[in-house]
Amino acid sequence: MAKLHIDNVALRFLPKGGSPVTALENISLDVGEEEFSVIVGPSGCGKTSLLRLVAGLIRPSEGAIYLDGHAVTRPGKDRGMVFQSYTLFPWLRVEENVEFGLKIAGIEQAERKRMAQRYIAEVGLEGFERAYPKQLSGGMMQRVALARALANDPEILLMDEPFGALDSQTRSLMQELLLKIWEHAHKTVLFITHDIDEAILLGDRVYVMTARPGRIKEKIEVDIARPRSVEVLTSDRFIAIKRRIMALIHEEAVRAMA
Amino acid sequence: MLPFVEAYFAPKTDIPRRVYLSVSTLVGVLGLALWCALAYGGLVRPDFLPTPVAVVKAGIAGIEDGSLLVNTAASVTEIMTGFVLASIFAVPIGILMGSFKIVEASVEPVTNFVRYLPVSALIPLLILWVGIDIEEKVAVIFIGTFFQQLILIADVSRGVSHDLLDVSYTLGADRRTVVTRVLIPATMPGVMDTLRVTLGWAWTYLVVAELVAANKGLGYFILNSMRGLFTDQIFLGIMVIGLLGLIADQIFKLARNWLLPWAANP
Repeated sequence: MAKLHIDNVALRFLPKGGSPVTALENISLDVGEEEFSVIVGPSGCGKTSLLRLVAGLIRPSEGAIYLDGHAVTRPGKDRGMVFQSYTLFPWLRVEENVEFGLKIAGIEQAERKRMAQRYIAEVGLEGFERAYPKQLSGGMMQRVALARALANDPEILLMDEPFGALDSQTRSLMQELLLKIWEHAHKTVLFITHDIDEAILLGDRVYVMTARPGRIKEKIEVDIARPRSVEVLTSDRFIAIKRRIMALIHEEAVRAMA
Repeated sequence: MLPFVEAYFAPKTDIPRRVYLSVSTLVGVLGLALWCALAYGGLVRPDFLPTPVAVVKAGIAGIEDGSLLVNTAASVTEIMTGFVLASIFAVPIGILMGSFKIVEASVEPVTNFVRYLPVSALIPLLILWVGIDIEEKVAVIFIGTFFQQLILIADVSRGVSHDLLDVSYTLGADRRTVVTRVLIPATMPGVMDTLRVTLGWAWTYLVVAELVAANKGLGYFILNSMRGLFTDQIFLGIMVIGLLGLIADQIFKLARNWLLPWAANP
């Protein structure tokens, strides 16, 4: 049984004073245990909505989502999420941010501190435990956000273009860091991006979405050996996969313009 | 272009602290010099414009006979009572109003109505209802500041990022925790700024109320001085109000940096 099972989900909404919009339609996909799945699609295809559905922040109009066989009805700490926007709590220091989920779960302070320390080290931010978010760079803030999500030990990690707001050098460092963490944390990940390189570099498989209404257009297996580093970006296999995804996305972009 | 124009007149560019302080001091000194020139030069009649020395003397006299202190204490008591009462209600209701549509629906229409009533228009009614003692001043300040605070704080609350709340839910927080541990702390810098601004307005309402009807307070002190043409005392009263405002503002600034170091302005 798949870890995450999205079963024929649709999302419709009625904008204020507008006609009904179908954001997502016929979405079915499975993410296996410890798998890294990536969804790419043109902007406005509803990929963020899909992730928010899995997080339980919004409810589908049709279909259902199951995590470990249980239907998702509300947000919960079994589905940790990292957002594109900076979502650290500005009034909490780095270590307090990482401890947030542990604290509300009622874990005692010494244990909390130990776990926070571990994940702060994992994202390479030792020495910044007592810093406030405003003292950090964008890349550092996203690393804290990742540590905060991981500290809760979620069943699945949902990542919504977490590196989208970073400059390209920082972004590739973050991608490598994420790969390294994923390789020994063995987390199930559902990752959203519009960056094709990022999708192939990170994913075991890449789902390409159609323009609105968003559907899964194609599922592409990324058969590139792990561990991977940014060097795979220039490999023949990588380029072949990239060419294929680009063609699919281009088709959709053209269709969306028409 | 002149070198100092080149260096100091570029938009949004820092200037050396030394230059900053010199300019501030210079403008202050020029203002004082202008006052001295007008007063001592005999350009304006002394019962229109007192000399600086006359104002200082009035201040010393006011302290010696206690009139200045009594009136200042009365005004400060009134403003603190009214302002604290308004804030105690406005902060929580405002935060809820900005984030819960159901609270907004119940509070906003009446707030928007009352907010556009100049509180000075209510003073005669309040005098009829509660007299001219401290209760009336407190009522004026309360009505004058509460509804403004409510709207401003609701806006602060409305501005708290959705993602901040959403991420809290995905970290396992329930609604109650999201409100107490995320929404409320997130509004604090804006709440402090709102309180700082509205305290200034509260002073205005208080003085208006005291000018209309009072038997003590700085507004009363000023009005009473006018009746005797004691311009020096009028100036004194105005300056004390300005000074108290400045002190309160600095206290707010310090308290904000001390209580909310994570949101401190550089």
